[in-house]
Amino acid sequence: MASLRTTSRLFAASRPMFRPAALARTYATVDASTVDPNASKQPAMKTFKIYRWNPDKPSEKPQMQSYDLDLNKTGPMMLDALIRIKNELDPTLTFRRSCREGICGSCAMNIDGVNTLACLCRIPTETTQESRIYPLPHTYVVKDLVPDLTHFYKQYKSIKPYLQNDTPTPDGLENRQSPEERRKLDGLYECILCACCSTSCPSYWWNSEEYLGPAILLQSYRWLADSRDEKTAERKQALDNSMSVYRCHTILNCTRTCPKGLNPGHAIAEVKKMLASH
Amino acid sequence: MASIVRSSPLLRQSLATPRSSLLSKNVGVSQLVAFHASARKQILPPQPLNDPAPLPETHPSEGSYHWSFERLVCLGLVPVTIAPFAAGSFNPVMDAVLCSLIVAHSHVGFQASIIDYFPAARVPKTRTFLNWLLRAFTLTTAVGLYEFETNDVGLTEGLRRLWTA
Repeated sequence: MASLRTTSRLFAASRPMFRPAALARTYATVDASTVDPNASKQPAMKTFKIYRWNPDKPSEKPQMQSYDLDLNKTGPMMLDALIRIKNELDPTLTFRRSCREGICGSCAMNIDGVNTLACLCRIPTETTQESRIYPLPHTYVVKDLVPDLTHFYKQYKSIKPYLQNDTPTPDGLENRQSPEERRKLDGLYECILCACCSTSCPSYWWNSEEYLGPAILLQSYRWLADSRDEKTAERKQALDNSMSVYRCHTILNCTRTCPKGLNPGHAIAEVKKMLASH
Repeated sequence: MASIVRSSPLLRQSLATPRSSLLSKNVGVSQLVAFHASARKQILPPQPLNDPAPLPETHPSEGSYHWSFERLVCLGLVPVTIAPFAAGSFNPVMDAVLCSLIVAHSHVGFQASIIDYFPAARVPKTRTFLNWLLRAFTLTTAVGLYEFETNDVGLTEGLRRLWTA
């Protein structure tokens, strides 16, 4: 045991204190000197047209601005392209991003006509066609690609998205459920609230003030379906009006656009079934 | 430093709200306001930012009961529409059921369009007017179908004659 420890310490001591510059973490830009295969390639220039609007200049209309990038020097995803544009071409371009792997939901935007996460959307390799990037449709724009999601979060808060259970458990430790009951939450708990589905729903476009929209209704169903939650009746009662749920006309844009592959349309159908059977 | 001193556009807008009557006399500002197509109340929701969005009141006859009724009418229409033509019998009772289901179905359908496209919060007067207009139309349709059933050949027979004419 002691010998092991000394060996590992020796090994640790032999490590360089700093990583070489070539391995240091960089953003999506690929340094041409480190990647040899691409250096000899023909540049594949692609045009990105991006929605621009600056709140500091309110008299200027929103406009589409074009940026040309060499795809050989850009990462594979739309977010890589956006970050590269911001780093190298135009530092004033504004967008939200955080995790770059489809788990935070920050970079939701409308890319080539489809609401999706920029970090999960591959850049089409077809260079003759431009890619058009807009903020989420029918939202108030804060700046460029940043939409105002205040009301969306307020609606999320209104459905009480937390466990409501006043009964103490027998062992005082945790609220248990069977594997079958847990399985009901699969396809619901994965939702990251990126608002792609809600902003793709025409019903939500027209009635976002009162209609909850697919994302929030999926979350509603996540708590209605939870076997540990005791306020199911109250939750159902809160949704039982003409606006909250029943503005859904099963258009299914939500299911089609969900970047996480979930099915909000099915969840809403389950909510309607639960409401009908009480 | 400058970024701390400079107020955000939302903040500026909220500060400007109570003084809107004064500002509208200023030509430059009124031009700016005219440029924006959306109303100011829509940009700034009146509730505090961290409060949950208000949920409408519980109303099962507009919610779950309404939906169940609508689904049942839809399901009922399928056999009632096919049966008289498939079976070849033109029964006045079946005709009456078909007519009432069609009237209920179209009323609910148009009602949904009115709720979707004329929100009570934005256009309350138009909403009320359209609701009463729809009721008048539904009543007229019901009376018309009743007359057609009692004084003429009836709906299914009429359709059959149109088809073969």
